[in-house]
Amino acid sequence: MSQPTLDDTIRHIHRLPAMPAVALELLDTLSRGDPDVDAMARHIAQDQAIAARVLRVANSPFYGLQARIGSIRDAIVVLGFSAVRSLVLAAAVVRALPAVSHAGFVPERFWRHVLGTAVAAQALARALGRPPEKLFLTGLLHDIGILVMVSAYPEHFARVVALATERDCHLEDVETEVFSFDHASVGAALARHWNFPEDIVDALAGHHQPERAGSGGMAAVIHYADAIAIALDLDGRDNNQVPKLDLDAVNALGLDWTTLIEVLAETQARFDSYLPMLR
Amino acid sequence: MSEARDLALAEVEPGMVLAEAVVDGAGQVLLPAATALTDSHLTSLRRRGIATLRITPPADPLAEAAALAGERDRMRARVMYLFRNTADNPASQALLHAVLAFREGKPG
Repeated sequence: MSQPTLDDTIRHIHRLPAMPAVALELLDTLSRGDPDVDAMARHIAQDQAIAARVLRVANSPFYGLQARIGSIRDAIVVLGFSAVRSLVLAAAVVRALPAVSHAGFVPERFWRHVLGTAVAAQALARALGRPPEKLFLTGLLHDIGILVMVSAYPEHFARVVALATERDCHLEDVETEVFSFDHASVGAALARHWNFPEDIVDALAGHHQPERAGSGGMAAVIHYADAIAIALDLDGRDNNQVPKLDLDAVNALGLDWTTLIEVLAETQARFDSYLPMLR
Repeated sequence: MSEARDLALAEVEPGMVLAEAVVDGAGQVLLPAATALTDSHLTSLRRRGIATLRITPPADPLAEAAALAGERDRMRARVMYLFRNTADNPASQALLHAVLAFREGKPG
């Protein structure tokens, strides 16, 4: 088996579907203030696959609403623009990346893990007083490199999974033996290809080595959120394991015990509410 | 846990809990399920001619504690397994203790 290079894999990225236009518009509104909410509601409603997923989540018991939300406009009025924007971006990512089963790769587990990480990142953001949406989105994207690897080189990826199982270690510990790069670097390349903001690209590249991305930054939050999602067993993979955390990165977040327990509780509760997104 | 049982009204004691709603001949709910019965409930039911009530079995605290311990042991074993390769990592160990406290419902 020859070793695929990052360049080979990036050529494959160009064959992946583009991000839906509405997601890119919304992404743009993350950094600009004052979005035209009416226009956005109309655009979102036009993409029916995305709108349907958003409404499924908005109507989940987590939000505890009395009346059924039937339109994107109503969802914005009731939940707020920023909550709906997060849901739309999540639905767009789930739809844009076709995940097919291969040896060693179960799409449902993959999506449960990244959704769990996104929800944990959002809970951490709230606890740390940071804007939650960008961290939610970054959590959702943090392992997209794995999707690229498995769709471009399924046999190589199966070898990675087999090696990691044999040695009881993490995928990223063995990826560079089979590929000449790891999922963090190819994930960053895909995010750049999709014109995601540079801080998201950096956080994807650094989520396993947050010290290289600078302490207290988005990479550190994703690093911790990834561990929380595994610690709460959100994807239920039998031989899953919590990573060794970077002490400096975790300490720099400065969470106290009570806040951490609240983050765990919020992650668990919200995760259940977001699951309808995956159906 | 054992099944709910039907008791004649005369045998029912205050404090017993209804396993299902009490309904009169017209289909009107007189008392909802899970009501803990009081003396005045029983008097009123007698006046309305209700003959039997379906009562939840008394809880068996020992059996429940044993079942809970089994569940708690399984939960702990799974969490410890997920953290199996982090013994030398202080930040991961801190998260382990927080997850156990959260799972056991201890505030801290």
